[in-house]
Amino acid sequence: MEYPFWDIPLVGGGMLIGIIAILHVFVSHFAIGAGLFLVLTERKARREGDTALLDYLKRHSTFFILVVLVFGAVSGVGIWWAIGLVHPTATSALIHIFVWAWAIEWVFFVIELLAAFIYYYGWNRLDARTHETIGWIYFAGAWLSLFMINGILTFMLSTGKWPETRSIVDAFFNPTMLPSLVVRTAVTIALAGLYALITASAEADESLREKVVKYASKWVLVGMTIIPIGGIWYISRIPDQAREISMGGAPVVTLFAAASIIFSAFVFLATLLGPFLFPRRFHVTFAFVIVALGLITTGVTEWVREAVRKPYIIYNYMYSNAIRAEDTQKVWEQGVLGSAKWALLTEEDKRNPLAMGEKVFRFSCQSCHTVNGFNGIKFAVKGWEKDFLDMQIQKLDQLKGYMPPFLGNEEERKALVEWLYSLNNPPQQTAARP
Amino acid sequence: MPVVVPPPDPAGLPAPAWLLQILLVFTFILHVLAMNLLLGGSVVLALSTWRAKHSEFCAKLSQRLSRALPVAMSLTITLGIAPLLFVQVLYGQAFYTASVLMAWFWLSVILLVLLAYYGLYLVQFRPEWLGAKAGVVAWISALFILAVGLLFTHNATLSISPAKWAEMYAASASGLHLNWSEPTLIPRYLHFVVAAFAVTGLGLMLLATGYRKTDAEWSAEATRYGLRWFVGATVLQFAVGLWFLVKLPQGVMMNFLGMNMVDTVVLWAGVVLAVLALLVAQRSAIGATVLVALTITLMAVTRHRVRQMFLGEHLNVNTLPVNPQWAMFVIFAVLLVIGLAVVGWMVWQFFKASQPQQSTTA
Repeated sequence: MEYPFWDIPLVGGGMLIGIIAILHVFVSHFAIGAGLFLVLTERKARREGDTALLDYLKRHSTFFILVVLVFGAVSGVGIWWAIGLVHPTATSALIHIFVWAWAIEWVFFVIELLAAFIYYYGWNRLDARTHETIGWIYFAGAWLSLFMINGILTFMLSTGKWPETRSIVDAFFNPTMLPSLVVRTAVTIALAGLYALITASAEADESLREKVVKYASKWVLVGMTIIPIGGIWYISRIPDQAREISMGGAPVVTLFAAASIIFSAFVFLATLLGPFLFPRRFHVTFAFVIVALGLITTGVTEWVREAVRKPYIIYNYMYSNAIRAEDTQKVWEQGVLGSAKWALLTEEDKRNPLAMGEKVFRFSCQSCHTVNGFNGIKFAVKGWEKDFLDMQIQKLDQLKGYMPPFLGNEEERKALVEWLYSLNNPPQQTAARP
Repeated sequence: MPVVVPPPDPAGLPAPAWLLQILLVFTFILHVLAMNLLLGGSVVLALSTWRAKHSEFCAKLSQRLSRALPVAMSLTITLGIAPLLFVQVLYGQAFYTASVLMAWFWLSVILLVLLAYYGLYLVQFRPEWLGAKAGVVAWISALFILAVGLLFTHNATLSISPAKWAEMYAASASGLHLNWSEPTLIPRYLHFVVAAFAVTGLGLMLLATGYRKTDAEWSAEATRYGLRWFVGATVLQFAVGLWFLVKLPQGVMMNFLGMNMVDTVVLWAGVVLAVLALLVAQRSAIGATVLVALTITLMAVTRHRVRQMFLGEHLNVNTLPVNPQWAMFVIFAVLLVIGLAVVGWMVWQFFKASQPQQSTTA
């Protein structure tokens, strides 16, 4: 409302963020777990005097920097880019509340990146002890940057006491911060194993392949065992309404939540029955199947986490359409267009309910709905008469718990009804304009 | 059309505006140094890779440079995060608005950087199948990086032109605007690109010193080559900089021509230091680098002043509400010092072990 709204037809902004974010999550969690995987495996290889394993690790670390330093880092900035474009008001809020938390995360990120380069270029240059120390520094930097970002991310769903106290400590150490940290740390361990299955299965030496495949599969199994334990703790700490949405309140979300559990189970079973029990028969295609299952699990889980936050973008503080909960009364009185300067409402618009209704849609609804595409409103209101539309809009938050109350005044509501009705019942060409 | 500026964030600034401005300008300088090496370096890499077959000097240059550029890319991105954070804190009202207006182009920065980055790694690892196509890949990376720079100039100039926003948004909300109508756009962009070539020239001279003992002949030639880039770009910069200056709105330009003594001294002291750098470059690459770093510092301050003058009272950071979080700031500052020490230790360990070890499995 305070910022111009970027109109993305068909896809909508949420989907755009989702695509970038899911890919980033899948790589960035690997980035962290791989740090632990590399340094622990390096120690194991040196203790056992296993030169072949050490050579594998060097190859694995090339794969690691190409995935992590390039895609991981750039896609992470990409999320920031995308949320700033799609949700500038919410991004601004997160930036202002957490400036120093972001700045601290940046310090850890700098350490992480430089350590990654020095670890990689240092394989044949540094002595064993220094090299392992650099590996530990990398892992510490990476995990601490997760620690920081996790506090900010969980705040969006569980603001806890912050709306009353406005204290950064309450915001960061919010109710889901710790359980989410446990889940995400477990994900990093599972993903470290999952990615290692790819590089291990591509190894030519059969005995080495078997050894590393078996070893990597244990990482996946350990991670995948901790995830549900942390997950139950996490679900017990999210706001009641969010839990209800995921457990029947909104059928699509419930379906995705179920899919998240089912696909997690697939990853576990595929790893157990494949690389863990029969490492000798494991091959690259199988590795990619498990990775694909892992990506789907990540995708649906992150999608559910985003979906249950509705009707808010920052819980109990800002609705999905960037209007602050505390401004609700003001918006009801002044209207959304009276508050949204970027609507650039003209005198002509005010005389034309269809033009006005479209602008109301843009600033009150379009952050979640497109017209014709994803979550398309035209399809959703098909067959609805004007009276029914008006009643639905008036009781939006009561009929659909995952939607905010309609944020606009009476004149705007009527204009919105006219515009929504016109989507499926185009006005006659001959009808004279008032 | 009215001038529409979003309201400031109600959370307020987490520290006084002066402190955030210092952090913004300081971290921007670090980002620009890395960016200069990346942008200029990627063009030199493209040129040398392209000519690698015909010249042994170029072949070696291409190989040696290609190892440094992914690191320069990573540093550019990483060091860019901090100024991007502080610019959103101080100037979010302008930054988000301009970004939304050019949303698709702004988002394309991510894709261009990603592809350019992979291109640089491809040139570094140069797998057999790549063959002579390495030159093409290097050029694509360089062009993408140059394009990203231009998009940043669009964003930076649009961010400080609030009078244009409402009209643009009324015309289309699809995020397909650019700021081509801005008179300073091209000179401002070239001002940055030419500076990047000059800094890269110095970077090449410093790279050459690393091979003084192992490959003296190449080292000497690389020093001359780097010097040519530095001198050529810096001389050209006097013309480009002047062009940029005269394209500024009268009211802004005059501040740098005596109307505001501090602004005038800062800008022209930067110019004088660049002249001095030209004079000492032949004798001491390090001396010239120090002088150029000072020039960049003064120019970054000047750039910040231009932003303040363009925005005027539409967005005056000194009038924003302040809600300081001092405890958090202290934690950040302490961790920053520890972080720099850790980074310093790691880099020292790396260069201390200058001779690659035969085996790490001992």
